[in-house]
Amino acid sequence: MDLLCVLSSLLISYLIFKIWKRIDSKRDQNCYILDYQCHKPSDDRMVSTQFSGEIILRNKHMRLNEYKFLLKAIVSSGIGEQTYAPRLFFEGREECPTQQDALSEMEEFYIDTIKKLLERNKLSPSDIDVLVVNVAMLNSTPSLSARIINHYKMREDIKVFNLTAMGCSASVISVDIVKNIFKTYKNKLALVVTSESLSQNWYNGNNRSMILANCLFRSGGCAVLLTNKRCLSGRAMFKLKCLVRTHHGAREDSYNACVQKEDELGRVGIHLDKTLPKAATRAFVDNLKVITPKILPVTELFRFVLSLLLKKLRGNPSKGSTAVAQAAPKAGINFKTGIDHFCIHTGGKAVIDAIGYSLDLSEYDLEPARMTLHRFGNTSASSLWYVLGYMEAKKRLRRGDRVFMISFGAGFKCNSCVWEVVRDLNVGESLGNVWNHCIDQYPPKSIVNPFLEKYGWIREEDDHDTFKIREEAM
Amino acid sequence: MPREQMPEFSSSVKLKYVKLGFQYLVDHFLSLLLIPIMAIIAIELLRMGPEEILNVWKSLHFDLVYLLCSCFFVIFISSVYFISKPRTVYLVDYCCYKPPVSCRVPFATFMEHSRLILNDKPKSVEFQMRILERSGLGEETCLPPAIHYIPPTPTMDEARSEAQMVIFTAMDDLFKKTDLMPKDIDILIVNCSLFSPTPSLSAMVINKYKLRSNIKSFNLSGMGCSAGLISVDLARDLLQVHPNSNAIIVSTEIITPNYYKGNERAMLLPNCLFRMGSAAILMSNHRSDRWRAKYKLSHLVRTHRGADDKSYYCVYEQEDKDGNIGINLSKDLMAIAGEALKANITTIGPLVLPASEQLLFLLSLIGRKIFNPKWKPYIPDFKLAFEHFCIHAGGRAVIDELQKNLQLSGEHVEASRMTLHRFGNTSSSSLWYELSYIESKGRMRRGDRVWQIAFGSGFKCNSAVWKCNRTIKTPKDGPWSDCIDRYPVFIPEVVKL
Repeated sequence: MDLLCVLSSLLISYLIFKIWKRIDSKRDQNCYILDYQCHKPSDDRMVSTQFSGEIILRNKHMRLNEYKFLLKAIVSSGIGEQTYAPRLFFEGREECPTQQDALSEMEEFYIDTIKKLLERNKLSPSDIDVLVVNVAMLNSTPSLSARIINHYKMREDIKVFNLTAMGCSASVISVDIVKNIFKTYKNKLALVVTSESLSQNWYNGNNRSMILANCLFRSGGCAVLLTNKRCLSGRAMFKLKCLVRTHHGAREDSYNACVQKEDELGRVGIHLDKTLPKAATRAFVDNLKVITPKILPVTELFRFVLSLLLKKLRGNPSKGSTAVAQAAPKAGINFKTGIDHFCIHTGGKAVIDAIGYSLDLSEYDLEPARMTLHRFGNTSASSLWYVLGYMEAKKRLRRGDRVFMISFGAGFKCNSCVWEVVRDLNVGESLGNVWNHCIDQYPPKSIVNPFLEKYGWIREEDDHDTFKIREEAM
Repeated sequence: MPREQMPEFSSSVKLKYVKLGFQYLVDHFLSLLLIPIMAIIAIELLRMGPEEILNVWKSLHFDLVYLLCSCFFVIFISSVYFISKPRTVYLVDYCCYKPPVSCRVPFATFMEHSRLILNDKPKSVEFQMRILERSGLGEETCLPPAIHYIPPTPTMDEARSEAQMVIFTAMDDLFKKTDLMPKDIDILIVNCSLFSPTPSLSAMVINKYKLRSNIKSFNLSGMGCSAGLISVDLARDLLQVHPNSNAIIVSTEIITPNYYKGNERAMLLPNCLFRMGSAAILMSNHRSDRWRAKYKLSHLVRTHRGADDKSYYCVYEQEDKDGNIGINLSKDLMAIAGEALKANITTIGPLVLPASEQLLFLLSLIGRKIFNPKWKPYIPDFKLAFEHFCIHAGGRAVIDELQKNLQLSGEHVEASRMTLHRFGNTSSSSLWYELSYIESKGRMRRGDRVWQIAFGSGFKCNSAVWKCNRTIKTPKDGPWSDCIDRYPVFIPEVVKL
């Protein structure tokens, strides 16, 4: 009898211990951002609108219409005078890049950022357990991840993944991989390195849909340290709340919206279709449908459902919709109830405007994205981190705030995630923030392009035969 | 790796039986311990007689409450145990791509093309001929259509059509074999080292098969011939987190854009060895799949030697002096592969070797440290841990080197050699062709353990251990179906061309 009691009590205590351990282990599955470091290339790589014009003019295949189109695009793109380009553009070699150019462009980026990141956090490269590298347009052997491991002499048993061709949304995909690894393995430190390689991707033809990509992208990159170690969670900056990925590759029009292919003469470029905005909107709407219930409070969802029902009962279609509204329907739901800050991929002025309209955001909310587009341009997958850096530099991030990251990518994908700020983030601590040197000048009084006047004349120039742009512009 | 040199009398039969006995003792230690205990209990029971046993039973006061509580606790413990166990990851089935006969490149065709393309460089042509003679490749390996042109036409469109041909055929076969609906795929991982267009190959697959919009897709590239096992690693990590999911892995290498057009010797080598191929693999963690799955994943170990400069530069893509891009293979490749394998074995050994081998290794280690450093280190016998070996068919030299290092017999490496002969070096998918060979030969029985080893640029050595879940009947279709009866063939050292 006594033996039975003793055995049963042992059993019960063991069971309780096991249950407690399982609940406790859930705490180790959180994904925290410990720190991140964006890349600010050296000032000799700055490219102004004037210089962009010069680079475009070097392309001898283009005619008047294409020049007009491009200059108009640059001037109204929302990109400012201080964005960065790869070195070979300054040497006039953009039409004949070598592989070494692409590799040195990446080396400049990762040697600078990873070193600063590790030094600031007093970590050594051998502490890193997981490495995920995503650079969409560079494919080399050995992979970029192997190059980083070789340079920093990382451990042999490191878990490494090298993603390519996943477009501007690859940052969120890398975070997804890390999040899943953190659920299975405890006490790990992960490094996500994200960038874009521009050196080998200059299109030197004259196909309209392909030349636009030449002007939009700029150099930049970011390295992010993530961890699920409980001892570091006090020092962490952000905690991942949820992550949703939507892939519309099944639809023909979405898949063909952004394709890398050869033009009629065999030159490789990225074709951006006219249906790209629609594809982006569709993907965005689908993504919102999944993530909204996870991030907004129940009261707001309830209110939204009620308003939908009322609208249906009244049978009231929206009147007087503008062009923007047709492209991006209004969500009708107040995101500010669950989200405090919006990190929008700086794909271009149109993208930011469309998202701002559909989510009903104010200028204050869109300011970080607009300023990032102005200062750093469209740095592809890493743009989200520059936007985050702006918010941090402006001291907007307080403990408990929620940040919503939205990104788009070729294929067509829309990936988004929500981070919760773990502690008040003040500028004094983030010595590595790329905005530190210039944050006081933002937002400037006007972000209208200073060359609007200078290149405005091209809108009037119509005669192909007497077109002598070189003398005029130079 | 240093060889074991045992003294003369080890070759005698007696010692072999001693070793066998020792192995048996150590491996089944716990069960051997249980036998005397059970014997004692049985003797006690016999001694007590039936009435005494009944008395003991009655004195235990079995209340209904007690009975119910104990049953409840037993059920509770077992359910907690089953829930907290890491999910078993199954390999349900896989399909390898069999190229059409029109893509075959017999030696004569290859040499003729080589002479026509490199007509002003006879030394390079001769070099390629020498490589081909000693390569271990057969006459039925295949190159994609674009490479058959003279000169080859490696445009992006051709590369995409090769990708579509190899990937979609393999996936169609897989869907038919497993009765899987495209809508049921939750995870998609595509690895192709040298070709990554935008949108990615994973987006291309999603587009073709109209996969779901909430699919988790990943596109790995640049990771070399070991990328297949890296994809399996990622799939396993994802399947641990997402219950009741299906994962499809597509491993391939697209040859079209990577044909080296220059004449640098070390960079002409990949032209001679790499051939087209691909594999599509279905993995899942559904409990219902445990009856139909072919294999269970036991272990997967990854080793990255990138920190060592010599290893890092041994497979390096670079431009030659004329600006042609190609992959430079260093002369130290074999030695570096051996080092990487040693590092990988150090981790995987304790996970798979039987206790007896581990004990012997430990004893020899202690002996070397304490008694006499001159003792040769004991190399554990991996043939005791695995029944089948799938060594990446990187080239004849790799297979020879590994056979020597691991002390494997000809039959163990037969799958690798025959895959190299029939399909060439198909990069990350070669491991699956080899596994298919073993199955087609009818050698795969339930409970057999398979060790897949792959090397990749960087330098990586990844290995996976699978346990066969059910005896596999000789497949009627598959890449080996029309030629398995001709194999194994004898591959001479040098095939005179």
